[in-house]
Amino acid sequence: MKTQTIVQRIRALAAGGALAFLLVACASVDEDAVLESPAAAAAPPPEAGTAGNPAPAASNEGGELQPIHAGETRQQGAGNADEIIVTGNRIRRDDFQSTNATVTVNAEDMKNLGIVSVAEMVNQLPDNVAEQVSGPGTDSSFNPGESIANLRGLNADEGSRSLVLVDSSRALESDASGNVDQNMIPTALAGRIEPVTGGASETYAADAMNGVVNVITEEQAQRRRQQAEAPVPAAAPSQPGLGGAGSGGNAGGRAFVAGNAAFAQQVADGSNTRSPLSRVAPGEELWIISQPAADEMMAAVAEDALGPGVMIARFIPVVFPDQPAPTFYREIPLPLKHTDVNARVEGYVGTVDVTQQFENPYSEKIEAIYMFPLPEKAAVSEFVMTIGERRIRGILRGKEEAQQIYSQARAQGYQASLLTQHRPNVFEQKVANIEPGKAIDINIRYYETLAYQDGWYSFVFPTVVGPRYNPAGSPDPLHAVPQWNNRPTPDGAAVRYLTPGMTTSHDISIAVELDPGVAIEEIDSSHELETRWRNDDVVRVSLRDGATLPNKDFRLNFRVAGETIKSNLLTYVDEESGEGYFTLMLYPPAGLEALRRQPLELVFVLDCSGSMNGAPLAQAKAAILAALDRLEPNDSFQIIRFSNSSSQLGPRPVAATPENILLARNYLYGLNSEGGTEMITGIRAALGFPADAERLRFVTFLTDGFIGNEAQILDEIDRRLGSARIFSFGVGASPNRYLLERMAGIGRGAVAYLSLQDSGRMVMDAFFERISHPAMLDVEIDYGSMAVTDVFPSRLPDLFVGRPVVVTGKFTGRAGDVELEGRAGGERVAVTLDHEGNSPEHNFLPNLWARLKIAELEDRLAVDPNSAYSIAAEIRQTAINYELMSDYTSFVAVDASTITEGRTGTTVYQAVPVPEGVRYETAVER
Amino acid sequence: MRHTRIAALFGVVALGLALAGMRFALAQPGLAAESAARFTSSDVRFATIDVYVDSPEPLAAWQFELREATGSMAVVGVENGESAAFAGTPHYDLDAVAQGRAERIIVADYSLGERATLPVGRTRVATVHVRLMGAQAPEFQLQLIAAGNAAGEAIDAAAVIELQEGRAE
Repeated sequence: MKTQTIVQRIRALAAGGALAFLLVACASVDEDAVLESPAAAAAPPPEAGTAGNPAPAASNEGGELQPIHAGETRQQGAGNADEIIVTGNRIRRDDFQSTNATVTVNAEDMKNLGIVSVAEMVNQLPDNVAEQVSGPGTDSSFNPGESIANLRGLNADEGSRSLVLVDSSRALESDASGNVDQNMIPTALAGRIEPVTGGASETYAADAMNGVVNVITEEQAQRRRQQAEAPVPAAAPSQPGLGGAGSGGNAGGRAFVAGNAAFAQQVADGSNTRSPLSRVAPGEELWIISQPAADEMMAAVAEDALGPGVMIARFIPVVFPDQPAPTFYREIPLPLKHTDVNARVEGYVGTVDVTQQFENPYSEKIEAIYMFPLPEKAAVSEFVMTIGERRIRGILRGKEEAQQIYSQARAQGYQASLLTQHRPNVFEQKVANIEPGKAIDINIRYYETLAYQDGWYSFVFPTVVGPRYNPAGSPDPLHAVPQWNNRPTPDGAAVRYLTPGMTTSHDISIAVELDPGVAIEEIDSSHELETRWRNDDVVRVSLRDGATLPNKDFRLNFRVAGETIKSNLLTYVDEESGEGYFTLMLYPPAGLEALRRQPLELVFVLDCSGSMNGAPLAQAKAAILAALDRLEPNDSFQIIRFSNSSSQLGPRPVAATPENILLARNYLYGLNSEGGTEMITGIRAALGFPADAERLRFVTFLTDGFIGNEAQILDEIDRRLGSARIFSFGVGASPNRYLLERMAGIGRGAVAYLSLQDSGRMVMDAFFERISHPAMLDVEIDYGSMAVTDVFPSRLPDLFVGRPVVVTGKFTGRAGDVELEGRAGGERVAVTLDHEGNSPEHNFLPNLWARLKIAELEDRLAVDPNSAYSIAAEIRQTAINYELMSDYTSFVAVDASTITEGRTGTTVYQAVPVPEGVRYETAVER
Repeated sequence: MRHTRIAALFGVVALGLALAGMRFALAQPGLAAESAARFTSSDVRFATIDVYVDSPEPLAAWQFELREATGSMAVVGVENGESAAFAGTPHYDLDAVAQGRAERIIVADYSLGERATLPVGRTRVATVHVRLMGAQAPEFQLQLIAAGNAAGEAIDAAAVIELQEGRAE
């Protein structure tokens, strides 16, 4: 006879979802006196198949018991082993001794009763009031038809307060109210179902007030799962595949996949009717993805049809072996199957083709909506919708007109697509009337210039939009909402995020051909790569298998040979229009590196909002700690943190003495992350005190930039900047690069990125290397015989060592020698630039110039709202003239050849994972 | 090295110059075809306009302008032609829209394929997808601006359009 300690029992309870326990007595007890599971801990097992009327599991006979609160201790004599009380929240609980009618059922009972689903079995329990979500009128648009445990029959609209466990672990919630759809639980794996009601259930968790349903999977399944989780010998390659009904299989040693053919027991109107279920094949699940009107639903049932918003799709619960406890993951059937990125870099200009492959996994037509990122400098100039062999080039139109065309086409049943921009780096793809099983590809082409720093070029492709925080009153919010929120967000766009435990089949492939024109000496990447060299100058890299999860930016850095980067001038003249375009790469003169810098006033502004929780905040802290080590005695510094509000190390910057640095270290150690991202409070704190005439003020922002009010931030910086310079550090796997770049641009500084894999010290060392030499200030350009107009950026930044600046504009006249002048170390410095000549190879210049002009106008729009109308008109005209995406233009494509069958497709939002390192719980709106 | 880059860039350059270049590289078109079609209309509907070029010799490049005189047309897509030589998506120039005139679109494409792969005779070079609005019957006009062979010489070709409103599957 085995014995277990109460400590072990309590740990088991805690693993099953209990929030807080206070152990008052610890003793060894006989297994017969303590039941097998948390459910059984509340009541003894009744006779099989009967509603028992059991005696209490443990007795408190023998005297008055007092709880021990946190921090107290008490010696417990061995003779009091049977006096055990478990408490929560400092309130004495002896409800374990209360009497409740309890039934547990096992697989044999279910078989004898002819019950084939967990949900149906729970509905038969005497404590439970059957709760099934109907289609209309609920707030759970994704979940009509779900079956919820409701052990005391309370209103389940805001959560039934009935906790559902699988093998004593919390099952995944499936709707906004925190309910668990019991249809998710593979029936054939259910060995036993144990309910807990009465006061004991409250000790499991706050949401277990009404009771607990614990589904214990059968032992055979447990054994199979353990086998699947064991390491797979390299000599014995496993066979990926899916298990059959009620069984498990090993998927390449990476996951245990449990297939189940007994799903889809319910229909959305709450009745068990024959029609929809007759359409469900083994291995498929009935999915309801919208809220049809009641009459439509009833009509559909009468017509033996599924009805609008009701669809059939495959469902694959998977268990990943690296989890501490087996957890069922749902692979959500969503329409975006794959993203293919094919890029070619010539010189420092990238041409990138992105293909999004949509496919309808449901049994009815859909409209797919996908929010995705592109680089903030991308000049999106081509848009093609591919249906089979037919390729339809989209037309660039004004945003409202394009939206109207798309809506009309969708309403009439035509396949159509619409690409709109919500931020310079956030786009929305809509694809209408995708028929069941059919595919539509969307091809997007854009151009961009690569960033260059300290000998390295950087190609970046973002794969996911980070969840943004929207301060109250944000005029154009970008919401971050859970996947199950299928309702439109009328006040702004929204990105849907997969809840923890959910996954999709969407993966990404990236291939980049690098041809910088000189030898490539070194390559570094955020992802594992396959490389294929064509010669010393040209290499093709692609993502390795297994590195295809789109949850962090793809970054490809490459270092080119020797001293080949120098200031130069490229020009292009459009033969048709006669317009000339130029771009200058301004590189700081080499002599600057020999000069010492002047004293600095460094202000570190640290984002401590919820999205920075965990690894991102730790990275940012490490970077600041490294920076503190690099300060010199004449420097001063300040540390400011912000989330919902801001606070700082001291009322004003302090001298960089060892004592103050120690104080700063302790201050940093004590900082945690929680709350919103009220960055404006941080900006005001950082730029709102008088300038120090002795020191050059550098304000460094360390943030993921996950905010939705970028325009307000940029406006605030522009108004308060003064003589300061801003250096922004993008922290995390997928920072908001648009905001960070523009902050640094307006702040005449530079941007750097600190991924979760980077060394904070190395990144900060590179930063100090840059600012440890005097920058070339007050830069002026003498264009010689060129008459230039529309030059961007209009406000020239300082030139820091290792960091060139690209200037682009239009010109007339003869392109010749250009001279760069500035001030460095108190002296006048002049450099003459080489002219590489006019070349048709530089035909990308008009597009790049137009993209920069639009970016500059967008900045002006942020800081000059009174001129919004004229600026918007100028952006729109520039975008149309150069066929570029913008905030005021969209690409639309309609296949007007065929009207698809049936009603307008149901809208399905493509949910995405939160970026690597970001905690869903602290970043996504609830 | 430089030659390699130039060769690699050629495709991109050629695409960028397709619209502009053909206007200068090709001689005056031998035949400018105009076609018009009338049909009854409802408020908003969608239709396709298949553009056919009938060429006596292998067709390597073409350019046409489609316009609608009443202002009821909006172009909503340009589709590739039926020949494998023009499997890519044609390029368009929509300046007229930005300038506020009645909707018109200039569409062009070219092929660098072998002569044997180029279409001869009547071939659908593109399909223009349009939205039609208003009660007034639209009046389409098609002008074949240029048609050329692989040597860049003008071809004495003709062009016609066929209009089809969207059909149910």
